[in-house]
Amino acid sequence: MTSPDEPFVAFDLDSSDRELAHLAGHTIEELSDYLDRGRTPPDPTIDDSPECQIALRSLQRLRTVQRSLLSSDIERESERSDGWVRSVLQHINLEAHSGRDIPIEHPSPTARLVVTEGAVRGILRATGDEVSNIIIGRCRLDGDVSEPGAPITIRVHAAICQGENIPAKATELRRALYAALDDHTDLSIAAIDITIRDLYLRPATPPSESEK
Amino acid sequence: MSTTLREQVPSPLDTASDLTLVDRAADGDVRSFEVIVRRYGPLMRVYASRVLGSNDEMDDVVQESFITAWQQLSTLEDGRAVKSWLMRIVSRKSIDRVRARRKHANIDLSEPAAPEHQSPHRLAEAGSQTEALSRVLADLPEDQRRCWMLRELAECSYGEIAEELDLPVSTVRGLLARARKTLLREMEEWR
Repeated sequence: MTSPDEPFVAFDLDSSDRELAHLAGHTIEELSDYLDRGRTPPDPTIDDSPECQIALRSLQRLRTVQRSLLSSDIERESERSDGWVRSVLQHINLEAHSGRDIPIEHPSPTARLVVTEGAVRGILRATGDEVSNIIIGRCRLDGDVSEPGAPITIRVHAAICQGENIPAKATELRRALYAALDDHTDLSIAAIDITIRDLYLRPATPPSESEK
Repeated sequence: MSTTLREQVPSPLDTASDLTLVDRAADGDVRSFEVIVRRYGPLMRVYASRVLGSNDEMDDVVQESFITAWQQLSTLEDGRAVKSWLMRIVSRKSIDRVRARRKHANIDLSEPAAPEHQSPHRLAEAGSQTEALSRVLADLPEDQRRCWMLRELAECSYGEIAEELDLPVSTVRGLLARARKTLLREMEEWR
C-alpha cells in the first residue's frame, strides 16, 4: 500500500507495467469500464484487491467532482439571459424545410396560388396541438401534390400522453385533420394514417434542467 | 441584474421526447427546435467554452452549430441520438475556431494561442474541488482534453470519438487513459 504522502503509483503516466503490477493485473481503464458497468458482473480479482479498491474509490470520487462541475456549469449557462436562444432562432432559415409547392384553385385564370408542403405540415401540427394529450411528430404527404385532384395519403407520427386511450385519440385526431385539410387545401385525401410512436408524461410542472 | 425570467409558457412540447421534437423540427417546426435549443444549448455552451476559453466566441460557435443542425436535421436518422449529434457538431465547430485562431496567431506571434483558463466564474470558486478539476482539465494536452470531453460531456462511444477526431480507436483509448490518470493523480493532491 502507498503511504499517504506518495502519489498512488498506478496513476503514474509512463509505467504501464507498474500500473498492471499495482492493480492486480488490471488497468485504470478496465477499472473505469467496470465502474461504468455498475461493477457487474462482479469480478473478484477487482473486488478482492485493496489496490483496485483504492483506485475505484478515486475514480468514483473523480466522477462525483466531475458531475458537480458539469451541473454547476450547466446551471450557470441555463440561468443566463435568453438572448442567445432568440439569436439562434432569428438566424435559422425558415425556408429550409418548405418542401414542394401545392397549387390552390382560384377563380381568376391569371392567378397562380400555391401553398407549400411545409405550410400544410404546419397546419397538421397546429391542428394536432389543439387535440388534447397528443403531440404530432413527423408528417408526410404521399402522392403527387402538384397534380390537382391526385389522391394524397397523409402519414402522421404522433406521441400520446400516458394513460390515454390510443384508438379513441387517433380517431379524434384523424377527424380534426380531415376537417383542417378540407378547410385550408384542395388536396384530395385518400387516407390519413396515424402511427403512435411515442409516449410522453403529463406536463404537470414545467421541467427544470438544473434539478438533477 | 440578470433576473430576467424567461417568458416561457409551459407547453406539452417541453416534455416531448427528442424523437418527437426532432421529427417536428425537421418538418420545419421552429417551436420544437426551440425546445431542443433550450434542452441541449447549455451543455453545448459549456462544451464550447471549455474548448475555446472565451465567452464571445462561444456564442458564435453555438449559434453556428444550431444553424447547421437546423439545416441538416433531416439527415439525422434517429432523432433519439440528437444529443450526441449536436455535441459532435459543436465539437467540430469549436475545433475549427481554435484552428482559425491559431492561423492568426502564426501571423501575429505576440498573440498566445492557448485559451484563457482563468475566466472570472472559475476564480470566484477557487479552492473548491470543482475549481481544481476545471483547472486540471484546462491544462491537459489538447488531444487528451478533446477525447475526454467527447467521452464525458458528449457521452460519445470510443468508436464515435475515433471517427470524430479521425484517430484509431486504440489511440483514443490511450489518450483517455492518460487524461484520466492525470486527473486522478492531480486529485490525490486535493485531499
